Amino acid sequence: MPDFSIPRRRFIQIAAAGTAAATQIGCGRKPSTVGHRFEIPTTCELCPNKCSVLAVVQDGLIRKLNPNPENPKSRGMLCARGNAGLLQVYDPQRLRQPMIRAGARGEGKWRMVSWDEAFDYTARKLSAIKEKYGPQGVLWSSTEAFAEVFFQNLGQAFGSPNSVRHPSLCLASVNLAYSVTFGTVPSFDLLNANYVIMAGANRFESFITPDTMDLIDSAMNRKTRLVYLDPRFTVTASKADRWYPIKPGSDLAFILAMLHVIIGEQRHDKDFVAAYCHGFDELAGHVKPYTPEWSEKETGIPAAEIVRIAREFSDAAPRALFYAGRRSSWYQNDFQMRRAQAILNAIVGNWDRQGGMVPNTKIALGELLILPWDDPQAPRVDEIEKHFPLAAKGDGAYLKLRENVLSGSPYPVKGWMIFKQDPMNALPDQAKTMRMLEQMEFVAAIDIQMSDTAWYADVLLPESTYLERTDPIEVLSGIWPVVVLRQRVIQPLYDTKPCLEIVQGLARRLGLSQYFDYTIEQWNEAAAKELPLEMPLDYLKKHGVFTPPGGPKYGTTLNPDHHFVTKSGKIELFSERLQEAGYDPLPVYQPQPEPPPGKFRLVVGRKAFYTHASSTNNPWLFDFAPENRLWISPRAAESAGIADADTVEVSSGTGQVHLRARLTQEIRPDCVFMLHGFGKRSHWLKRAYNRGGSDAAVLEAAWDKVSGNAAMHETLVRVRKV
Amino acid sequence: MHDKRYALVIDSRKCINCKACVVACRAENQVPLGHSRDWIGEEHRGTWPRLLAAFEPEQCHHCANPSCVRVCPTGASFQRDDGIVMVNEQDCIGCRYCMVACPYNARFFREDKGVVEKCTLCKHRIDRGELPACVETCPSKVRACGDITDPDGKLQQLLATREYRVKKPQTGNSPQIYYLL
Repeated sequence: MPDFSIPRRRFIQIAAAGTAAATQIGCGRKPSTVGHRFEIPTTCELCPNKCSVLAVVQDGLIRKLNPNPENPKSRGMLCARGNAGLLQVYDPQRLRQPMIRAGARGEGKWRMVSWDEAFDYTARKLSAIKEKYGPQGVLWSSTEAFAEVFFQNLGQAFGSPNSVRHPSLCLASVNLAYSVTFGTVPSFDLLNANYVIMAGANRFESFITPDTMDLIDSAMNRKTRLVYLDPRFTVTASKADRWYPIKPGSDLAFILAMLHVIIGEQRHDKDFVAAYCHGFDELAGHVKPYTPEWSEKETGIPAAEIVRIAREFSDAAPRALFYAGRRSSWYQNDFQMRRAQAILNAIVGNWDRQGGMVPNTKIALGELLILPWDDPQAPRVDEIEKHFPLAAKGDGAYLKLRENVLSGSPYPVKGWMIFKQDPMNALPDQAKTMRMLEQMEFVAAIDIQMSDTAWYADVLLPESTYLERTDPIEVLSGIWPVVVLRQRVIQPLYDTKPCLEIVQGLARRLGLSQYFDYTIEQWNEAAAKELPLEMPLDYLKKHGVFTPPGGPKYGTTLNPDHHFVTKSGKIELFSERLQEAGYDPLPVYQPQPEPPPGKFRLVVGRKAFYTHASSTNNPWLFDFAPENRLWISPRAAESAGIADADTVEVSSGTGQVHLRARLTQEIRPDCVFMLHGFGKRSHWLKRAYNRGGSDAAVLEAAWDKVSGNAAMHETLVRVRKV
Repeated sequence: MHDKRYALVIDSRKCINCKACVVACRAENQVPLGHSRDWIGEEHRGTWPRLLAAFEPEQCHHCANPSCVRVCPTGASFQRDDGIVMVNEQDCIGCRYCMVACPYNARFFREDKGVVEKCTLCKHRIDRGELPACVETCPSKVRACGDITDPDGKLQQLLATREYRVKKPQTGNSPQIYYLL
C-alpha cells in the first residue's frame, strides 16, 4: 500500500522540524515549554457546522483535538473529520510554500518561490488582465470560510462584480423557496419534533451537525417518528420508522398529495392559516387534482400510506416537520419542490413553535471602520438579474456563469482567483470546467492542499491551516446562536500565510493597500466590542465560544401584527413575488422520465468522513474508503454481466469514468449511486489520486429554473463492464 | 469508599457508523493505520426492499475474568484494580497467546514495537478525570463509561431502565461491555 501508514514517530519528526523552521524565521510567539500540556480553544474548519474544539498542545505539537463542551451548537462532540483535522497540519502532502507553474498546465512542474515573487507575479498578471479586459475580466471564486470576507473584499476593491460562491452548487433552491414563502430561512427544531419527514437529506450519514445529534436522540430515546424517502437504503433509512424507496424526481408528487389530504380532510391549522398565511383558497383549489391515487402512480408509494402519513403528520403538528435538509438541488423544478415543503410546514402551523420551524436568531457584531471602495461598474457575467431575477445576487449562478465565460458573452473573463474552492469537482460536467480553466489567461489558487483545481493553476498561494491561524470572529446563527473564535494554536509549520496576509500582499501590489490597512487582531477587537461581556475578545480567546444566556427562543414572530418580509407581509402560500416574476405561484408537478432500458439514473451523495471533495486524501479518513464504488442492484448487474468488484465504465452525455462495482440490495434497480469526491486528477494527492471515479466527470450540467442551483440528479448513465 | 470498577454501556441503536470514535482513538493513542483499538461492527441483511442494517461499536470488553491475562506467560497482560485490562509493553514478548485467547479479537500485534496492543479505556484520560476519547467525541453519545459498582451511577441507571446483553457470556470471561437492547 502507499504511504498512508507513515509511522507516527516520523510524522512527529517532520512536524518538529517544521516548528523549528518556523521559529527561526521569527513568527512571534515562543514555542511552548517542553513537557507542558495545555489546551487552546478554537473552531473546527472541516465542515460548515464549525464545532468548537480544544486543541491539546504539548512540546509545540498538537496532540489531539477534543470537543469543547461549552458550545451548545456542537453538543460536546467532534466527528471523524473533526478529529482528523489534525492531519491537515501534519500531512506531508500539504502545501508548504508558494509556487509558480514551470511546465504546461496540469503537467505538475512547479517552481518554489518566495511570497514576494508569488505576489509580484500574481499582481502583474491581474493588472495585465485589468488593462486588457477591465476589472470584470477577473473572476473571484470562494467558498464559505470565516476569512472569505477578505478575499471577497479584494475582488470588489479590484473592481470586479464577478464573485461566485458555493450556494448555487448547494442550497440556493432551498434558501430561495423558504425566503419566498416566509421572508427568511428558518432552522428546524428536530430536538423537540415528534414527527419528521425527510427526503434524501441523509442526516445520519452524510453530515454530522446538531440536527443529526438531535434527531438520533429524539428518534431513539423520545420515540420521534421518522419517515424517510430515498432511492437508497442509507444509514438514515435504517434508523427510520418507515422508509420509502421513492421514485427519483417525484418528491413533489408526494408532498402535493399530502397537501391534498390535509386540506381535503380539514386537518390544517385553521387559526394559524387565517392569522398568518396568504393565498390558502388558491392553494386548496390548486392541490385538488393531486390525489393520493395519482401520487402513487408517480412516486410508487401506496396511496393508503400517503394518507396515513398526512394524517399522522397533521396529528403531530405543530411538533411535526418536513425537514428541508442540507442538500443540493436535484431536478430543474427543485425550487418548486422546496416551496411545496415550505407550504406543507406552514399550513400545519409549525412556524416558530417548539418542535417546528424557528426563524434564526442572530447576534450583532461590531464592525471595523474601513475605507470604502467604489462599487464595481460592470454587470455580472452570469447575467443573474436576467436569468434568475429572484436569486441571491452576490453568490452568483455558477453553471450559467461557466456557460457565459466559455462563450465570451456578454464579455470575456480571462483571470480566475480561487479561494479554497475546487470547481473541478464541485461543478457537474468536469470537461466543461476544464475548458473554462484552459481559456483563462491566468489562474491563481489559495488552498492548503493541491486540489484538482489547484493542480491546473498557474500560481499557488498556500494558506496556513485552520490550526495555524486566527480568523475573523463569526456568529453561528440558529435557534440558539453562538459567537465563535478560531485562533492560532501553533505557529505555521511552513511558509504559509493566513488569508488576510495573502490579500494584503496582493493589495499592496495592486495599489489597494488603503482598504486593507488593519490586522486580524484589530478586526476581531472591533467585532467583539458589541458583545455583552467585560473583556469580550479575551473571553473568546479563553473559551473559544460565547453563548448568550437564555437558551433557545420560540414564538417571537407569533403575533398577528408581525410583518413577514414578503410582498403581502404574510406567509405566502400563494406567492405574489413568483407570480410577478412569471413563475408558477403555486408548485406545479413535472414528472421525470424513467430511464430507458439499458440506462440508470445516477444519484450522488456524501459520507460524513468527507467534506465534499476536500478531505478524501486525509490519511485517517482515506483509510475508511480508499475508493468509491458504483452501487448497483444485483438484478440490474446480472443482466449487464457485472459481478461485484468488477471494473465498470459509467458514461453519460458529458464523459465517462471507471470505477469498481458494488453489488448491493440497498439501491433501487433503476438507479446507480457513487460517492462524491473521488477520481482525483492531482498527482500531489498521492493517496486519493486516480482512486475511484469522479461524479463531476459524468454529471450533466442542468439547473433549477428559478434559483439557478445546479440540478444533480438529471443525468442518465450507461454502465458496462470493462 | 468502594473500589471502582470501570465498564461501558453501549446503546448501539444510536450508532450511525460515523467512525468518530475510531479516529479519536487513533489520534489519542497514536494507533498506526492498519490497526484499530475500536471499530464498528456492521450487519446488512435482507433483499430489496425489505432491508435491515445495524451498527455496533466494538473494543476490548475489559472482562472481569479476562482470558488474555490468564494465558500471558510473562504477566505483561494484567488487570488494574479498577478493572481496566492493560498490556505492559516492557514485559510483552510478542508471543500473541493473548490475541488467540481474546474472544472479541480486541488485540493486535504492533510490528514496529514487537508487542501486543489494545484498548486501555484511555486510562491516562480516566486518571486525569476525563472520559475515554471514544466516549467523549461520539456525536450521538452511544457509549457511557463509568463505575459499574456505583448503585447510583450512570451505568446502573441505564441498566435498570433497559434490557441489555453481553457478548459471548459462555466464555466465562464476564465481559464488561453491556449492550442495551
